[in-house]
Parts: sequence; C-alpha cells; structure tokens
Amino acid sequence: MISFKNVNKWYGELHVLNGIDLEIAKGEVVVVCGPSGSGKSTLIRCINRLEPIQKGELVVDNMAVHDKKINMTKIRADIGFVFQSFNLYPHMTALENVTIAPLKVKKMKKAEAEKIGREMLTRVGLEDRIEHHPAQLSGGQQQRVAIARGLCMNPKIMLFDEPTSALDPEMINEVLDVMIDLAKEGMTMMVVTHEMGFAREVASRVVFMDEGQIIEVAPPDDFFTNPQTERGKSFLKSILTH
Amino acid sequence: MWGFYFNELMRSLPFFLKGVYMTVAVAGLSLLAGTIVGFIAGIIRAGRNKILRAIIGVWVDLIRGTPFLVQVFIIFFILPGIGIELEAFPAAVIALSNLTASFICEIVASGILAVPIGQREAATAAGLSQYQQLRFIVLPQAMRTIMPPLVGQYVLLVKDSSVVSAIGVVDITRVGWLTVQRIPEGLMVFGLVGLLYFAICYPLINLSGFLERRMTVVSTKL
Repeated sequence: MISFKNVNKWYGELHVLNGIDLEIAKGEVVVVCGPSGSGKSTLIRCINRLEPIQKGELVVDNMAVHDKKINMTKIRADIGFVFQSFNLYPHMTALENVTIAPLKVKKMKKAEAEKIGREMLTRVGLEDRIEHHPAQLSGGQQQRVAIARGLCMNPKIMLFDEPTSALDPEMINEVLDVMIDLAKEGMTMMVVTHEMGFAREVASRVVFMDEGQIIEVAPPDDFFTNPQTERGKSFLKSILTH
Repeated sequence: MWGFYFNELMRSLPFFLKGVYMTVAVAGLSLLAGTIVGFIAGIIRAGRNKILRAIIGVWVDLIRGTPFLVQVFIIFFILPGIGIELEAFPAAVIALSNLTASFICEIVASGILAVPIGQREAATAAGLSQYQQLRFIVLPQAMRTIMPPLVGQYVLLVKDSSVVSAIGVVDITRVGWLTVQRIPEGLMVFGLVGLLYFAICYPLINLSGFLERRMTVVSTKL
C-alpha cells in the first residue's frame, strides 16, 4: 500500500530522511516512534506530499508520489491526515468541517455529504456537537472531529502525526479509543506516537527512527520488551522512566 | 464684514455640494477599482510565485516611496508625452485607484499570511485545490484581520483625494480654493472644507473602530 525505497530528504544541509526503506501492507497498523528530530513527522508528511522528497521512490496505492508531475488530488482524497494541532477550520461548524472536502473534492451532493458527515461524527461520539464551532469544543473533541473529517472521504489510508501529543492527559483515551476501533476494523494506518499502550494493542509493527534513519522494525511486544539496538534500548529507557 | 462674507459663503453652498459630489465620485470609483485590484494583487503577493511577488513588491515600494501629488502629476502631465491623453477626472481616478490598490495589496497579503499554516496543510491534505483553499478556508479567516485596516484605508482614500484638486478636478478642496478668491476669509472657507471632509470620513472612522472591536471579540472567543 505504501512503499518507501531509498527515500532521502534534506532541509538545506540537514539530512532529515536518510535512506528510508519501508513497506506497509493494506490493513497494517504501523506505529512510528523515536526521539525529537528523528524525522518521524517528516516521514509521514511525505506520504501525501505535504513534504516533497528529493531522492528515492515513494509509491502510495500504486501511484508514484515522488513524481512531481503526478496530480496529488486523487491520492490525497484517499488519505486521511490527522494533525497534532488538529487544524480544524475555526470559522466552520463540526459538520461543515467534515463535509467541505466531500463537497468540493468529491463533488458530492449536499444531502449525501451531510448524511455521511453526521454518521462519522456519531461514530466518533460527537452526535450532539454537530453544529458547534471548534472554539466550543475541548481538545479531545476537536481531535475526534479531525478524525471524522478524515473518515468522511472514505480513505484507504489514515495517517496520524502525534494525534494525542497536544492533549491534556484525561482526553488522550477518548481519541485513542476511536483510533483503536478504526484499527480493529482493518483500516491501514500509520501513527507517529509515543503512546505505547496503543501500539501494543493494535500495531502490527513498530518502526523506531533516529536521526533520519530507521533503526529497528519489530512487532510491538518484541520491541518494547527486547529492543535489539543500543539506541532503541536508550530511547525506551528515556520514555518509560516517567 | 465677517457677517457679509458668511452670507456669501452660505450662498456658495450649492457650489460646495457639487464639490462634495465630485469628491465622492472620485473617491468612490477609486475605492471600487482599488479594492478589486488590491485584493487580486494581495492574493498574488501572498502566493507562491516568487517572480510575481517581486514585481508586485517593486510596484508597492514605488508608490509608497513617492508623494501622491507627484504620482498624480506623472499620470496627468507625463502620460500624454507617450501618447495617452487624459482628462483630469479619469487621471485622478487612475492615480487614486493605483495608490489605494497598492496599500490594500499589502493589507490583504498580511491578512492571508497571518492565517496559520496548519490551515493550509489541513486543506491540502484533504485534497482541496489552491483556489478552493483560498476561497473557503484562507480568505474567510484572513478577512477578520483585513477588515479593520481596510476600512481605515478608505478613510485615507477620501482624505488623499483632496490632492487631485491640483490637476483641476473640482472637488471640495478645489471649491475651497476657488471660493477663497472671492471670499477672502481663509479660516471660514477652509473651515467649511474641513467640515465637509469630516462629514464624509467620520462615519467611516466609526465603522473602522466598530469592526476592530468586533474582531477582537471574535478572536478572544477563539
């Protein structure tokens, strides 16, 4: 579904992605973790070309994302992206937030788009917040609207860039629960996160990155109980002692 | 004597009202044209094309770096030298529209750039085109930042319009000049001139203040 072959990216002199090789199959849930600056956010943002790559091949659902000439609209319509800072449109209600892409990109009729919008907002537990603006919602609720916004496009892939890192602790679970349900229903997901409980519950693999490179790839139980590399070991120590 | 001049002034009121009409006409047309051109220029200025951004930047700098009076003279006196004949009124509207557009360009560009980049990223990730992003996501949010200084610019436009009297447009200021030659009481005559401009500008100033307060309420709610 997603294929990285020798992907490299530089920000000026900084080699932020260094020789990335990674294959993600349909239905897989892959968690990407690593210290700050490891390139994990950049990695996920390359998939829908929020960031371009300079070298290598990146193929998503049989489309070559690294090809500058390719039209990204169709690819992006099939990928849902959830940001750390939610990025909901503040001047629109929750329903408007989730229906604008189906209306404008998929050219759906208003009635149909709103029907799907209500379904998705109900699915994430926000049926009584449909006419609210983001400013009237808590962080956890906003992030759930953001997930619903992604789901309304009926995506093949859902990408999450540190979805709970900006949330107060008591709201993290309500968002993770939605994500766990999605994973159990077979959605192909890539999640950049430090939430190890989530990884152990639904991830098929954990990808550990550091300094732009993939250091270790292993099933969550293997990685968390028995990391094979020194950097993996020290990373786990640093996040588990707190 | 003062009483006599005052009566003469009152008898000239119709002439002053014609001046008001002219000021409103020049300012009104320039407001319309300047806003349209200014918005388009501002959107390009906040866009991705480096060359176009630079060209617009030069245009803005030139206009902001030269006296408006000089710009009016250039358009009115020098253009005929390259074959473009202009009467005073169209020249005035062109010069004032040009001035207004350049300032509105900067206001609009700042407003657009003030919208958090995450908004564009979310819209891009959703598959919205550049045009759709601008129209549905960015501009609606940018308008909150743009409105107050935009209305402020309109107040400046009305005041700057007095400069076009220099090329013979018979606006409020010109009426004042012509009148003071018959009624040599400068304070009285130009007091009336000032009052008439104030009558036009005051509602606009209030509108700007009202919008600024309203925008602050909205943004603190966010």
